[in-house]
Amino acid sequence: MGMFKTTEEFEKVIVGFFQLVGNTPIIADKLLESKMVIRFTYTDPDLVVVVDCAGEKTEVRPHDTETKAVVEMTMSSDIAHRFWFGMVNLTKALTRKEMVAKGPIPKVLKLLPAIKPSYAMYPQYLDANGFGQYNITKAYTPPTA
Amino acid sequence: MLPDFFEFYNPTKVVYEAGVATDLKPELDIIGIKKYFIVSDHVINNLGFVQKVADGLAEAGCEVTGVYLEVKQDARLNDVKLCLAQAQASGAEGLISIGGGSVIDTAKAVNILLSEGGDLVDDYSGAHTLTRPLKPHVVIPTTAGTGSEVTMISVIYDEDNKEKLAFVDKFLLPNLAVLDPEMTLSLPPKLTAATGMDALTHAVEAYVGTQNSPVSDAFAEGAIRLIMQHLVNATKDGSDVEARGGQLIAATMAGIAFSHSMVGCIHGMAHATGALYRVPHGVANGILLPFGLEYNFDEIAEKLARLAPVMGEDCCGLSDEEAARLVIAAIRKLSGQLNELGALPLRLRDVGVPEDGLAAIAEGAVNDGSSFYNPREVDAEELLPYLQNAY
Repeated sequence: MGMFKTTEEFEKVIVGFFQLVGNTPIIADKLLESKMVIRFTYTDPDLVVVVDCAGEKTEVRPHDTETKAVVEMTMSSDIAHRFWFGMVNLTKALTRKEMVAKGPIPKVLKLLPAIKPSYAMYPQYLDANGFGQYNITKAYTPPTA
Repeated sequence: MLPDFFEFYNPTKVVYEAGVATDLKPELDIIGIKKYFIVSDHVINNLGFVQKVADGLAEAGCEVTGVYLEVKQDARLNDVKLCLAQAQASGAEGLISIGGGSVIDTAKAVNILLSEGGDLVDDYSGAHTLTRPLKPHVVIPTTAGTGSEVTMISVIYDEDNKEKLAFVDKFLLPNLAVLDPEMTLSLPPKLTAATGMDALTHAVEAYVGTQNSPVSDAFAEGAIRLIMQHLVNATKDGSDVEARGGQLIAATMAGIAFSHSMVGCIHGMAHATGALYRVPHGVANGILLPFGLEYNFDEIAEKLARLAPVMGEDCCGLSDEEAARLVIAAIRKLSGQLNELGALPLRLRDVGVPEDGLAAIAEGAVNDGSSFYNPREVDAEELLPYLQNAY
């Protein structure tokens, strides 16, 4: 069992974060420049999210299995979660098949410097949106009754 | 300092001997199949190499079900499709590629579809998309540079969409790499020099790159030592079997090193130079290697310094910075010798790159996947002065 117990729980966290990133100009401008359409297929719990940067603004579409993506990324929700803290060595994750990337890898690699600022945003986002229990950068204190 | 994590995986059996390409029975018996399809090109065929290997296969009790010779410079998607159709129709159980990087990369891509079916681009482009071993693939390199005989990478040019597709998968690693220096004796001096500098660039970038490990370092150092020993001699006298052998082994060791540690901005610039101005990959790497090291200098000086003794330089009493500068000077000295012996170009202006094209090369390098692994962040504006120096 991964850190997220249900798809709904994980969806709230990851989709909300993608929307935040998509609305953050320093990152969004680079994403839109790339024209990338990426489908993330998560397991444990299962969730599909498309991040579409082909238009004028970044669109985040959960459960979109129809759009033809340029790149398909498959990973567990835990790996995705750790990735957004900047804690995943991409080469290691790809080599060990913790992530599978289908499509033009250089285009994905090119985006990595652009999304670097999001690593600092993720724990702040979790804390600010009631998802503090998932912030693995601090010791978790359960809420008191 | 040790890396947090590294993986080393090289299941490719390597055999080395002058003449071994025509005497592979023991290795082929272990692989166990009998029907091989040969992938090569007309140059190699005209040199008689394809027939020699085919004769050796017959003596080993194996059948050549067909031969594809249309591979061009830069492995191309259309060639993959044509070659696949012939290999499939021939009933091949495995592939033998005889040639340089384009031939080997073509055969790797053909093997994906021959083994698994499907669409190469839609189903398999990317990293580690395969789930099981492919059909046997035997590689006989005829250049000493790409190291493709021991890498998990195939790069295929999609002519219709004008883009290079990367396939990275451990199942692309060939079963057998046959290092036969007699297969490289006919390489002309310029190509010998350029492919040798390609191998040197693989080794040096793997050594100083962000993904290096003690294991990849050992292969990189070994490759560099052999190149410093043999490249000048191989360029000077193409019939020097010892020097040819040294270069073949060095290219393979450099291939093992960079297949694990990746390459950096020098390859990024070389890829852009090749794409924009059709400069051969080894030539571009040879020109750009010292300048790329200078771009990275502050980040790599300490590590680069360790190559000074490997390259035969006396660095006693020198600081890391001084020893690292000695390494770059040694590379420039080697390039100079190769320029005299093999007409290896030393400047971008000598290979048809216009001065106003340098900014586009810098941009291309930034956008190249290799640059992700560069020790210093690759910034077009900051890279441009180094390209101007290389001009």
